[in-house]
Amino acid sequence: MGLAEPGERTVRIAADIGGTFTDLVLIKGAGEVLTAKVSSTGSAPEAAVLDGIRGIMAEAGVDGSQVVEVLHGTTIGSNTLLERTGAPTGLITTRGFRDILEIGRVRTPEMFDLAWTKPEPLVPRRARLEVTERIAADGAVLTPLAEAEVLEAGRRLQQQGITSVAVCFINSYRNAAHERRVGELLAEHFPAFEVTLSAALQPEAKEYERTSTAVVNAYVLPVMRGYLARLAAGLAGLGITAPLLVVSSSGGLVRSAVAQEQPVLFISSGPAAGVTGAARLGTAGRIDDLIVFDMGGTTAKAALIEGGRISRTNEYEFRAGISTPSRFIKAGGFLMRAPTIDIAEVGAGAGSIARVDAGGLIHVGPRSAGAEPGPACYGKGGDSATVTDANVVLGYLNPKELAGGTLAIDAGLSEQAVTSHVATPLGVSAAEAALGVREIANLNMARAIRAVTVERGVDPRDFTLVAFGGSGPVHACDLAAMLGIRHVLLPNLAGVFTAAGMLAGDIERQLVEPLPAPLDEALGPRLQAALDRLAAEARAALAEEGFSADQMAIERQVDLRFENQDTELGIVVEDAIEAGFAAPLRERFLEAYERVYEYRARDRVEVVAVRVVGRGHRAGKLDFTSYRTAATGGTNVASERQVMFARESGYVSTPVFDRSALPEVATGPLIVESLDTTAVIPPGAVVRADEAGNLRIELEG
Amino acid sequence: MTKSDASPFADPITFAVIKNAFDTIVDEMAYNVMRTARSHIVREVLDYSTTLCDRHGRIVAQAKTVALHLGAVPDAIEAVQAAFGDDFAPGDVVIMNDPYEGGMHLPDIFMFKPVFFADRLQGFTVVVAHHCDMGGRVPGSNASDSTEIFQEGFRVPPLKLYERGEPNKTLFRLFEKNVRVPDLVIGDLLSQYATCRMGERQYLRLFERYGAATVESYIEGLLDYAETMTRREIEAWPDGTYSFTDHIDGDGFSDKPIPIKATITVKGGHLEVDFEGSAPQVKGAINSTLSFVKSASYLSVRCVMDSDAPNNAGVFRCIDVKAPLGSMLNPRLPAAVAARALTGYRIVDTMLGALAQIVPTKVMAAGEGGNTVVCLGGYDKATGEPFILVDMINGAWGGRVDQDGIEGVTNPAQNMSNLPVETLEARYPVRIEEFGYRQDSCGAGKWRGGLGLTRTYRLLAPEAMLQLRSDRTAHAPYGLFGGEPGALTRNILNPDRNAEAVPGKLTRNIEAGDSLCHHQAGGGGYGDPLERDPALVATDALDEKISRDFARDRHGVVLSDTCMPDAAATAALRADLRAQRT
Repeated sequence: MGLAEPGERTVRIAADIGGTFTDLVLIKGAGEVLTAKVSSTGSAPEAAVLDGIRGIMAEAGVDGSQVVEVLHGTTIGSNTLLERTGAPTGLITTRGFRDILEIGRVRTPEMFDLAWTKPEPLVPRRARLEVTERIAADGAVLTPLAEAEVLEAGRRLQQQGITSVAVCFINSYRNAAHERRVGELLAEHFPAFEVTLSAALQPEAKEYERTSTAVVNAYVLPVMRGYLARLAAGLAGLGITAPLLVVSSSGGLVRSAVAQEQPVLFISSGPAAGVTGAARLGTAGRIDDLIVFDMGGTTAKAALIEGGRISRTNEYEFRAGISTPSRFIKAGGFLMRAPTIDIAEVGAGAGSIARVDAGGLIHVGPRSAGAEPGPACYGKGGDSATVTDANVVLGYLNPKELAGGTLAIDAGLSEQAVTSHVATPLGVSAAEAALGVREIANLNMARAIRAVTVERGVDPRDFTLVAFGGSGPVHACDLAAMLGIRHVLLPNLAGVFTAAGMLAGDIERQLVEPLPAPLDEALGPRLQAALDRLAAEARAALAEEGFSADQMAIERQVDLRFENQDTELGIVVEDAIEAGFAAPLRERFLEAYERVYEYRARDRVEVVAVRVVGRGHRAGKLDFTSYRTAATGGTNVASERQVMFARESGYVSTPVFDRSALPEVATGPLIVESLDTTAVIPPGAVVRADEAGNLRIELEG
Repeated sequence: MTKSDASPFADPITFAVIKNAFDTIVDEMAYNVMRTARSHIVREVLDYSTTLCDRHGRIVAQAKTVALHLGAVPDAIEAVQAAFGDDFAPGDVVIMNDPYEGGMHLPDIFMFKPVFFADRLQGFTVVVAHHCDMGGRVPGSNASDSTEIFQEGFRVPPLKLYERGEPNKTLFRLFEKNVRVPDLVIGDLLSQYATCRMGERQYLRLFERYGAATVESYIEGLLDYAETMTRREIEAWPDGTYSFTDHIDGDGFSDKPIPIKATITVKGGHLEVDFEGSAPQVKGAINSTLSFVKSASYLSVRCVMDSDAPNNAGVFRCIDVKAPLGSMLNPRLPAAVAARALTGYRIVDTMLGALAQIVPTKVMAAGEGGNTVVCLGGYDKATGEPFILVDMINGAWGGRVDQDGIEGVTNPAQNMSNLPVETLEARYPVRIEEFGYRQDSCGAGKWRGGLGLTRTYRLLAPEAMLQLRSDRTAHAPYGLFGGEPGALTRNILNPDRNAEAVPGKLTRNIEAGDSLCHHQAGGGGYGDPLERDPALVATDALDEKISRDFARDRHGVVLSDTCMPDAAATAALRADLRAQRT
């Protein structure tokens, strides 16, 4: 598989599907990098991927037999949920509990909103069927499974045209025997059903969370399976027999076969790769503490990398686009217990629309002009004032064209929109209004960053902000200044950074086993046994994928919490659980807890679960140091234009560089334009292009 | 700075920035409580609120947490100011819970941290949290059948829990001795404390960046802004006086209906809400302090407003609320108040009933009538340790102008979550045997109400004290504009044995193996049930949310064996039913 040494002839390809473009990155041999963008192909996204791969292979002059791996970040899972195009799905539950899925956690996303519409569940009530069985909280069987009822439920679901079935029983996380038996019965009598068993997927407490996770899995499964099968067939048609690896929501690379069984682990596949790439970029540049900021047209996302470790979460809610407030309020989305990179997302992006309300307050977003009609300056009939229009008025963005000339800009339309929607109602100039729109947008986006830092007790000032996405570099320095961050890193390949990130990833297997027990010395042997079991399982899985022992890294973790709390913290432990382990482990938990929450409790500490992450280090992965895509070191100022950085100083004449012509070191104010983005360097900031073509910016004191 | 002609603010952009900062502070405070509190009622049910006040004690911003805390802080801070004058120092923290000195009911502990900038008091960070026990005669301190505040638990007047940063050990020791689960209570107090400090730090950063004079002037601007937004909206409402009366079943001692009457007078951009005509104070613990009545009134008005005005004191300037002293909505000492949340829900129902006459498209028909509280307290068989389960059952909304009421949803008066069955069973000697929708409990209407929930508890410990607080057992959630009322609440003890029907409010010892089944009321319907789209009726029947009988009798829809509406038979039946009405 992809473990072949990076010989001159070997080729690795990564493909990332976005709403508008599918991005491709190809690495040939030891470091030659090619990139490409092709238009996405909506409902048959594999067409763009295959098309793009064909094109980029031709450009590189390679054939399918040279390809040793194809890496893929897919939005198929999130799109299936967003557009509700999944399989007709059924649910089998414990008698008395068929409404758990629909009741959820009962909160509403907003207060005072009597017009709220609760989203329809993925499984309607008629397809949620109950069977007699009951497991107690300690795992004991209280009522045996009524097998005849299972068969009857199967028949009824079949009559309804159901093709995918989730099974979730109360307390199955303590004893999954009944769920397993249902799996056997369905496989035997209804072989056409795809079946998802909740505890096999995620053996953790909380019935709504587990049910919802199983249902999302069941709902997406046939779609994901069909898609990956078509993609594999298409790759074979291109002569590529190398394994297809898919990015999981937690940022690891996983064999396509796993994604076909457990698609719920791949819902956030796309965004995760960008964060993994940023982590790898940080490693290459010896920066361990990073805030990752990805700004798109309608939303902005943030994630945290601390001490080289990506911040992950075990639960998240997918809501049409936005996920930050849902950290606080679970409502109106699809909840999943699945290891996921902790990405906070807010509804503010380049296309967010600004308006002034009747009381004279500026609002920006969450309404967005999207790609159609887009900002006013696109001249496609949009007349709303967007964040992009504000950036055009302020001189940050090229007043004539963007994206290397492929997108014409009409600066006059931006000014008109900002004037009529913001400046006139407020009685200020267009430039002041534009500054206001930009600042409000920045504040909204800063909330995503605060969500992954301040709300975790992490001080963002100690971090480096890595920004990508088409608009990230336009706002990065302002956001950094707002949060007291001094260092900003704008990666080379910013426009295809997510795809590049995949090439930097590792193969990953995450395994978890519940182990609810008080943390004390007596638990040592059980902890050791459980961790060893999971570690062996992880090693076996990695060995099967062709990794030798020295290419594997196994991380063991114990999830701990205070009794009576529900927030657990994972503490990494050594391979051997020695006698006398409990007190130091408790102390490490208390330290970790205090760091986040600022106090120490006297309460007893309990173990929730043990967790093992196995990583297989891929030979030949992109390390962000060995390639160079654009020459740097020129000294030519391409042009100058009037740019406003602050109200007090007004418009100032500002040099505009093409990325390739940027001097080794330069001091702002200046603008750096490249094919896929524009970097705004404020007055006093010092920018330096490093060996790999990344821009490193130091902000003033 | 640019002086604007059109905008009321000296600098509309800085104004927006500072407003955003206030919102961020209270939201981050709310998140901090959720993550650091110890008890389930705070961590999982999220019964708490976070607020930022200026130096006068006026609310500047409040997080989107429990709406029923909206008007509570002003009266509380007034009591704190009355108790301490300007005797505040940096590092002080004041707590209180006494309903007769600014509080709401004893489990709600208010915590205020005065914030100093340049040696001057500049505001307060505030966290109000519902504690899982405050001592008194029953676990949870939430009984509906107490008759005096003295039975309800540990009363705390405004006192300093920290003085210049030093903990008041006396007060901490008193908490330890007066509550059943001191670790949880003190843990939650520490969470409140950490959160107040976190809010303080962020609030101070604003002062450092902009200076005291600027921040103060923008606070004034922010209150004015909220007032303007509220006033504009009320100005568009028809002037006049509108009354509505709803009922609580009884106070737990008597089944005599307890009327709550709201009279709303709209005059220009101002509202007056008068609860004259409501019941005199009652023996049971459902009396409500006036501060809580204000909270419920404000939030009802907020619910029918279009604009997203900030939650601050400016909104309250447009709304006057009064209730006669000695009434159950403004009681005299020593009336018991622990279960006053129920009264709050009914005030909201009453207010929405009156508002339906003013802004008929903005309201909903009555919902389930407030969450049901089931409290089981005792000692664990295996460990001998005390346990207190406080479980809340939410809920259903009434039908609305263009959509059905939601089912499986928090009452809009709070934004509470629920306790997972598996968490509950792992922690308490209790098993949940059923949790789901209650068929046919919705009020029929062009847009039907949401279904109530059914939840059945079985006790596994040798014995426990059961406290039940439910309502709508005699006064169903009303429908609007022709919509029918939702089904009444029913409570059944031991449905599998003698199936004893028990009242809505109950305090009783139960034994191992006993079970309680609660059938919650459903939401009322909105509009004529005979105008409901037969396809929607069919879908409900297919989903077994309603029975075929309900479809026929209440909606006049005749369904085939496969749940398809029979158009001709339906038209005929509907004509019949209409004829019978006249």
